[in-house]
Amino acid sequence: MRSAWVVMKRELGSFFVSPLAYVVLTSWLIFTGITFWILSEFYARNAVASGSDTPLSGFFGGSALFFIPLLVFVPVLTMRLIAAERQSGTLEVLMTAPVSETSIIWGKYGAALVMWATLWIPTIIYAWITSQHGSVDWGAVGSSYFGVFCLGIYFMAVGLLMSTIAPTQIIAAVLSFVALGALFAVGVGEFVLDGTLREVCAYLSMWGHMHSFSKGVVDSRYLVFDFSVALLAVGLSIAVLKARRHG
Amino acid sequence: MIEVDALSKRYGTQLAVNEVSFRVERGEIVGFLGPNGAGKTTTLRMLTGYLAPTAGKIRIEGIDAVRSSLRARTRLGYMPEGVPLYREMRVHEYLHHRAALKKVSEARAAVDRALVLAGVTDVKNRIVGQLSKGYRQRVGLAEALIADPPLLILDEPTSGLDPNQVRQFRELVRGFGGSKTVFLSTHILSEVQAVCDRVIIIREGRKVADITLDQTTKLEDMFAELTTSGIAEESP
Repeated sequence: MRSAWVVMKRELGSFFVSPLAYVVLTSWLIFTGITFWILSEFYARNAVASGSDTPLSGFFGGSALFFIPLLVFVPVLTMRLIAAERQSGTLEVLMTAPVSETSIIWGKYGAALVMWATLWIPTIIYAWITSQHGSVDWGAVGSSYFGVFCLGIYFMAVGLLMSTIAPTQIIAAVLSFVALGALFAVGVGEFVLDGTLREVCAYLSMWGHMHSFSKGVVDSRYLVFDFSVALLAVGLSIAVLKARRHG
Repeated sequence: MIEVDALSKRYGTQLAVNEVSFRVERGEIVGFLGPNGAGKTTTLRMLTGYLAPTAGKIRIEGIDAVRSSLRARTRLGYMPEGVPLYREMRVHEYLHHRAALKKVSEARAAVDRALVLAGVTDVKNRIVGQLSKGYRQRVGLAEALIADPPLLILDEPTSGLDPNQVRQFRELVRGFGGSKTVFLSTHILSEVQAVCDRVIIIREGRKVADITLDQTTKLEDMFAELTTSGIAEESP
């Protein structure tokens, strides 16, 4: 585990000295700022008498504005993890040190989760702004962030797997975009299909996931899904890295 | 020391290394020669655990390097061809990172020692990506030395160095004679003649010679004969 910590520290260090980190974080904040402004405007103009929708529940997954940027930002954040090491040749130095593939992957994954957190921590200010002009259900805000964290657990794991499979960073980003886009599309099936398929799509839906968490409902079925996908993707990443030695 | 027995590596249908066997005794400096594409880098990658062999055995300091790869890797320092480094880090940061990864106790002292040995103390605060190729090569050497391993495996260690740096490098490696085992691949024959006790030559994945060197060895003629003879007959 100590090796995983060393790998994670290096990954974060190199991420936060790269221009990429600041381009991503700045554009993310511009994007979420605009989203929050649009939603606040919308709810201010259309005083919704019924329902539990608020600018904050809208912000946390109530609209496609939440997911579409994530489908781009997640691949950009995760594409470097293993693919950059493979491209620059440093993977050879890393894998000939006395460090197991398991430690490497967990270290990289830990770094990815910290990157995910840095995307979201500044958004707390939107809850604070709302609280200055109206009432905020802090329980729902808490469960929204918990939902965001759980979503990150599986988004980042999928991105990590794609970065482990792909020969280059660009291919890793494209693969992650396709994988997450497909998972997003499956969720849309909830509104199109009938019967059992509809149930399955609802269960897999990231939209449904965030919709429930943003209302303060922590649905354990979504948690089971998030953690299973994350564990599967991390496990597969370890297996892919191990298999590389036999390439 | 290194013991290699009937080592083979197959990439798809191509046999890159074909039943190569050799021994390198403790404290020896051995050159690993061969034309481009002969299988030198593949062999070194198997010794260092980066690639798993298709068949054969490798023992590093008596440890089975295929089954107990992690343990075997603690005994060696490796400098891959082209010396890939994290370019965004400062030299001392990089060495501290590698020391932590290799679980070196008293990392600070180890880093200082490696900086001095590789002659990079004067650039320790510089960013790796901004260094000249010669310096980056020496940072790679400092990294290989950081855990004070008994075995050094160096792939083309002097490519890109200027004549003075090549001389310094040779002196450094000769200085290890007896205290560290050094296994280095190169295709610069004068380098082998200058620093190595023995030379192993491979061609098309097969070992074709294992020669102890002395002043009178005509390495150039021998290499030409071993690595080109028969090629005319083989080509269609």
